Amino acid sequence: MLRQRTSWITIIILIAALLIFAAATSRNLGTFGITVLSGLFQAMLLFLVASGLSIIFGLMDVLNFAQGGFFMIGAYVAYDVHHPGGLIDMTGAIPNADLRFFLSILAAIVIGALLGAFLERGLLRPLYARPIFQLVLTFGVSLVLVEAVRFIWSTTPYSWTALFSVREGYFTLFEQQFSTYRLFVIGIGFFLIVAIALLLQRTRIGIIIRAGVEDSGMVEALGINVRAVFTLVFTFGCAVAAFGGAIAAPFLGASIGMSSSFLLSAIAVVVLGGLGSYVGTAAGSILVGLAIAVMANYSAEFLNLPVLASMTPMLLLVLVLLLRPSGLFGERR
Amino acid sequence: MKERAIPWVFLLILVSLIAFPFIVALLTGSSPLGVARGDRMIMRGESVRWQAVLIEIFLLGILAMSYNLIFGFTGVISFGHALFFGMGGYTIGLLLEFTDLDTTSALIFGLIGGLALAALLGLIIGLVSLRLQGVYFAIFTLAVAEMFFIFFGRLQLTRAEDGFAITDLPVWLDPTQSRLTFYYIVLAVFVLTFVFIRRLVNSPTGAVFKAIRENEDRASAIGYNPLTYKLIAITIGGVFAALAGILQVILNKKVGPELLSVTYTVDPLLMTIIGGIGTFTGPVIGASGLHLLDTALREQIVTIGSTTIRVADSWSLLLGLIFIAVVLIFPQGIVGTWMRWRARRVRLSSPPKGAENPVQADH
Repeated sequence: MLRQRTSWITIIILIAALLIFAAATSRNLGTFGITVLSGLFQAMLLFLVASGLSIIFGLMDVLNFAQGGFFMIGAYVAYDVHHPGGLIDMTGAIPNADLRFFLSILAAIVIGALLGAFLERGLLRPLYARPIFQLVLTFGVSLVLVEAVRFIWSTTPYSWTALFSVREGYFTLFEQQFSTYRLFVIGIGFFLIVAIALLLQRTRIGIIIRAGVEDSGMVEALGINVRAVFTLVFTFGCAVAAFGGAIAAPFLGASIGMSSSFLLSAIAVVVLGGLGSYVGTAAGSILVGLAIAVMANYSAEFLNLPVLASMTPMLLLVLVLLLRPSGLFGERR
Repeated sequence: MKERAIPWVFLLILVSLIAFPFIVALLTGSSPLGVARGDRMIMRGESVRWQAVLIEIFLLGILAMSYNLIFGFTGVISFGHALFFGMGGYTIGLLLEFTDLDTTSALIFGLIGGLALAALLGLIIGLVSLRLQGVYFAIFTLAVAEMFFIFFGRLQLTRAEDGFAITDLPVWLDPTQSRLTFYYIVLAVFVLTFVFIRRLVNSPTGAVFKAIRENEDRASAIGYNPLTYKLIAITIGGVFAALAGILQVILNKKVGPELLSVTYTVDPLLMTIIGGIGTFTGPVIGASGLHLLDTALREQIVTIGSTTIRVADSWSLLLGLIFIAVVLIFPQGIVGTWMRWRARRVRLSSPPKGAENPVQADH
């Protein structure tokens, strides 16, 4: 309990430090607001990738290097369904852009879940006795996903052009315009953080998952089909990542670079929070998301070094691994 | 293992590789030197074309062997091998193009500097991160390599994403002028790498590498410090990867961030696994097999029904699928599977005397 408390205090101090730094380096309240908002926006997307990564690792000791690939696939599928042309053209069947957006998210979730289930059932299951090969395999799958996207949708990044109601809205605060879509994503993100936490805490399957994270052999000994739980969790994790890609696409578009950048940022989140710890992942997402936004603002405004912003997740990851590889909420090994 | 001498098969292969440009030249009636036009040489004809293919194979072979030393023999999984390859290339490129040194000294300093930088990077990365276990080390190396990739992709000095061309090569080394010389240089480096890694792995140090791979706790319990030996493996592996990078830059006369991209981590990983992890010939067989397949298929166009697919467009996808299939179906790779099969035949034909481990031949 004491360690938990120190972890919380550390997190609050770090977030406060980031906010103070952001306030000190912003020109006015407006830019400060934008930094914080885009930090939280980034944080929620990271959470959607990282939560699956963390639970999957905790439960089955597989670090899924393809998790970023699922995010990217989600973005491409959502883009394809929502826009005219492409593989599936729904503009004729469903002229209403809002409804079509809802449908495109659903399509992304379904495809993410199907691919995730296939990956666990078909490819990872034969390899549980050989952990190094699982690592190598998911690394290979992440590249296959990128190459498949390159093959289907070409290499040119897409930017979202077909607008719909939530995406178009703006509100003004401190004489600065903010997009409602960011708020929408942040809202969904917080909702999911709470929903997944409740799922893990209050439902039977959640209890089984948490017990499995502690000791999956023991859960199996109690007569529970752990393998089925593995498949379920893996599928769910991949679906959530694809969902993240789908709701990110209206803002970030769809590009191949998403795969590795979100994977590395999400790994940074998970390692910072402590591999396998749900609370750590949620807190880590907010920290890393804010840090990326603050660094982006700072390096663009003061250092004239925009490259620093894209290197932030890697720098954070390397720092955490060096200073405290067990993360904030992880057990010391 | 009584036999430690180089088997005659290797000597035979070496002799045929030395004679290779001339054999192709004889068979196709082309010159191994290319076609002379004025005082310049034009690289045209079957012999020089095949020399280029083999040079590529040797390069990839060196890279794969260096990766195998770390992954296959020591059991450390690194996802950042491209870092060493690319930094070797960047060092020699920067010295050739961005300093006032004359060409010869730039080449010498570039070679020494590139290798030294790789050794230094290997030492630093190893020192700070090897105490991390398996998956954390893989993450760490991936993050560091990605950082360098992004950095050099944006660095204006080295023309960011476009990279820069090497214009300042002496005629005797220039692969577009005297490819035959370069062929023999790369062949020599390739053979030296092979012999060196074979010697190293068969030495007492190499025995500790393998002990760490099999069971790290036991290796440290009998008094070896696994950290030290892993550090040796990753540093030496890094130096050879940098050597491959330097040769690659001279071959293509171009330096760019793609040298640091994840491709040069995946390729050696793939080649090692397909050829056979922890075997001497495996990475080389993987490298030659994949590169020959690549050259053969690149020009092909496949027609399925009404859709035509150019293989060149989907080569990486195909490669990834082959990779997954190999990991799933025969993770021992070509050489490993063959050695197992042979060991089983030997066991079946003559009953074993005692419980020795037959899967350990000199391949």
